Amino acid sequence: MERNQMMTENPAAGAAREGRLGRIISVSSLKVDIFMERSEVGRRDVVYTLADDGTPVWFEVAEINGLVASAICFGMANGLRRGMEVYRAENGIEVAYSDDILGHVFNSYGQTIDGTQLPPDVPVRNVYDRSLAMDEIVIDGDILWTGIKVLDFFAPIRKGFKMGLLGGAGVGKTVLIKELIHNVYQGLRSNSVFVGVGERSREGRDLYDEMLEADLLDKISMAFGQMGDNAMSRSRAVYAGLTLAEYLRDEKQQDVLVFIDNIYRMVQANAEIATELAHMPIENGYSPALLTEISEVEERINSTEGGSITSFQAIFIPADDLNDGAVHAISQHLDGQVVLDRKVAEKGLYPAINVFATNSRLIDPEVVGQRHFDLVERALRCLSRYEELEQIVAVLGIDELSEEDHNTFFRARKLRNYFSQPMYVAEQYTGIPGQFVEIGDILDDVEAILDGVCDDIDEQELIYIGAYMRTRRV
Amino acid sequence: MNETISGILERKVEDIKAGRNTYATGQVRLVREYIVEATGLENVAYFERVQVGRSGEGYVDAIRRDSVLIALTHVEDKIKVGDRVVATGQEFHGYYSEGSLGHVVDMFGTDCLAGKKLDGLREVAVENPPIPIMDRRSVNRPLLTGITGIDLIYPIGRGQRQLIIGDAKTGKTQIALDTITNQAGQDEICIYVAIGKTKKEVKDIYNQLLRRGAMEYTMILAAFNDDCAPVLRATPYVALSIARLYLAQGRDTLVVIDDLKRHADVCREIALLMGKTPGRDAYPPDIFYTHSRMLETGCQHMNGGSITILPICETKGGDITDFISTNIISITDGQIVLSAKNFEKGQKPAINYGLSVSRLGGAVQEAAMKKAGPPIRRELLSYLEQREVFELANADEMGEAMRKRMRRGALILEMLKQHKFAVRTSQTMLDMVARLNEDEGE
Repeated sequence: MERNQMMTENPAAGAAREGRLGRIISVSSLKVDIFMERSEVGRRDVVYTLADDGTPVWFEVAEINGLVASAICFGMANGLRRGMEVYRAENGIEVAYSDDILGHVFNSYGQTIDGTQLPPDVPVRNVYDRSLAMDEIVIDGDILWTGIKVLDFFAPIRKGFKMGLLGGAGVGKTVLIKELIHNVYQGLRSNSVFVGVGERSREGRDLYDEMLEADLLDKISMAFGQMGDNAMSRSRAVYAGLTLAEYLRDEKQQDVLVFIDNIYRMVQANAEIATELAHMPIENGYSPALLTEISEVEERINSTEGGSITSFQAIFIPADDLNDGAVHAISQHLDGQVVLDRKVAEKGLYPAINVFATNSRLIDPEVVGQRHFDLVERALRCLSRYEELEQIVAVLGIDELSEEDHNTFFRARKLRNYFSQPMYVAEQYTGIPGQFVEIGDILDDVEAILDGVCDDIDEQELIYIGAYMRTRRV
Repeated sequence: MNETISGILERKVEDIKAGRNTYATGQVRLVREYIVEATGLENVAYFERVQVGRSGEGYVDAIRRDSVLIALTHVEDKIKVGDRVVATGQEFHGYYSEGSLGHVVDMFGTDCLAGKKLDGLREVAVENPPIPIMDRRSVNRPLLTGITGIDLIYPIGRGQRQLIIGDAKTGKTQIALDTITNQAGQDEICIYVAIGKTKKEVKDIYNQLLRRGAMEYTMILAAFNDDCAPVLRATPYVALSIARLYLAQGRDTLVVIDDLKRHADVCREIALLMGKTPGRDAYPPDIFYTHSRMLETGCQHMNGGSITILPICETKGGDITDFISTNIISITDGQIVLSAKNFEKGQKPAINYGLSVSRLGGAVQEAAMKKAGPPIRRELLSYLEQREVFELANADEMGEAMRKRMRRGALILEMLKQHKFAVRTSQTMLDMVARLNEDEGE
């Protein structure tokens, strides 16, 4: 059996073999302890041992206590024994740092996994190296329209923005991410990086195929540590992916789009690693260093004078618990968030966005303009009144409502339907081709619905359409 | 002091090297349920099979600095402190034989009804490296269940992982059994994995499948309630390793795992007994990975073969947002949610159409079904939502369009009712939709 498919090239035999670091003294599913002859390794150094068939089995040092180093396995631990000799690798985890990254798929340890080989002399960089000083960071950017009605209206973004996509299981995070890749990418015409963390391998493959078909593969670089991989791989995929993005931002001076699906999985993987290291957990079993680990990653996702990183980060919500410690810790770093809601999905309305929990820093008259700002306020008021009325109607029936409430009730339902949208990447579910809607149209339509211009039409006419008023006038 | 330790280590290793073919032995130091701690066993490998006492067997689950933790998979006599533990030099394996099809077997290749080992057994690894992303292809061939609410509305494709989730007694297993019987003549190997079921339940399932001729292409891989917990934990992985053998031949396999909530509970039990730090709801922090690496085996492979997985998950009080359920939902490619309320009302199969999802949708349907499905689904969902909101509204005051929608919605719901083992062909389903549309035209 292949014990480790992570690093295939055999390390320099003779010379390296002489420099034995020590021997394994304990093994668990994810960790080995190494008794060292000399204490000469540091945290995040890479070490390896040789399996019975001579293939290297790799580890990253996580902790050192005197002469005992604890190291985390890159792959499976099956077959490891006490007494196996451990050697030190020359370098830590590195990933290519050149134009060669575009069109390629990497694993968390910097190796291509798309069946291609990069030139042997390709420049590489350690995945942990980069951090930004405050004077490097730039915070202003132009607004970036996504063409997705509910997003552009309630939660617009701009270059350098950090947008979180929060949602429980199976409410459409990944579809939304793919639609964003499809739409924003077209607008920005820049390179992008997709980081798959602890998500489905099938989706990784589908994304690759879709990029290939759309002839966009040479504009994107991908890093995957998916859910079939062990905690080490899922944890480090983000570091590898960010290094790729930093190359595009720092060396190519580009506006880069970074998609991370799903950043929560990194925290989850870190919890698994912390447990193996016998760290005292915080609530729900997370690593005690939760905040440190998130900050280390999030502070790298920023814009500089030369280029920008606009990121979309999907965040899984365990047990549909929005107050989960990890979810909360990640959201603190975001400029805005889109919350996907099972109750909306249940009604068949996609994207299933909870407009009350969704927000963006840009909803400010100085940024989006007074009209947009006012319409958002009015729409939210109308929709929140609807929630109350829905309960009254359930008890008393619709006839008991005052005329004003009656209007609000039906206009809110129309508004709700209007914010559903056929998406390009969801055509296979809906059977309806996708639509990119201009912000001007969105504002006109919302205004029309709120003003009662659409009172006479059937609410079903507004479901899964693009712009409404403009097409009606024609 | 350090000099001494490394000296001892060095000597031990030399000893072992000199006497390679003598198996390492050790002594039992602690017995806790089905977990044994043993001293000695210097050269034992992680996940190696070991013999404990006169008739016990297990595998190495952790190698500590001065002892080894063993998870027992088989015990007959009492294990006592001081009993001998012998390393076998082999990795812990499951067993499988070509002849397993048609039988109720356990992960060691025992024919449970005949009470003896099958002939022609071969070893299968419990754990395998993940199937690489680039070896996968998109899922686009249908796997027909014969159930209208699934094939038409939330279709399943070969290589898809579709969760069946709901309270006890809402027909979860029945959906899986219907699906298995519908595979007759479809060139699909079926593996039904029972985790922590009673012997009576498994026998009943066997009889049901046998009576309908489905055992010809089906194997029931069972880990019973009274087996050692580590066996319950390992059995679904063995099932998927067997499926991978068929995958290597380019065959299609359907694996039903019944059920993963029980599996999660078994893993929690073992982890806590081994002293691992508990996480949310006391499950071990790697419980997601426990299920994700299992279910990631489901795929459409580039060699043409596929592994379709229908995991089952039991909920309490209709709550699909508990920790284990949301974990599994976030792994699978969709879920069929069953509701106790629908079941009581006679709406069977008791699918909650609002909460069910297929992430692959029409991509796995044949053209005609793909055309008929989405409009029916949209109409149904909007009917269900309106029915709830306008429950008290006066039908006379509704607009004509709305009254028509309500009538049609009720008809759609009626069309989706189906008895157990009454599978339908796609053509029958399409005819029903056509009839529905005709009635509407009149």
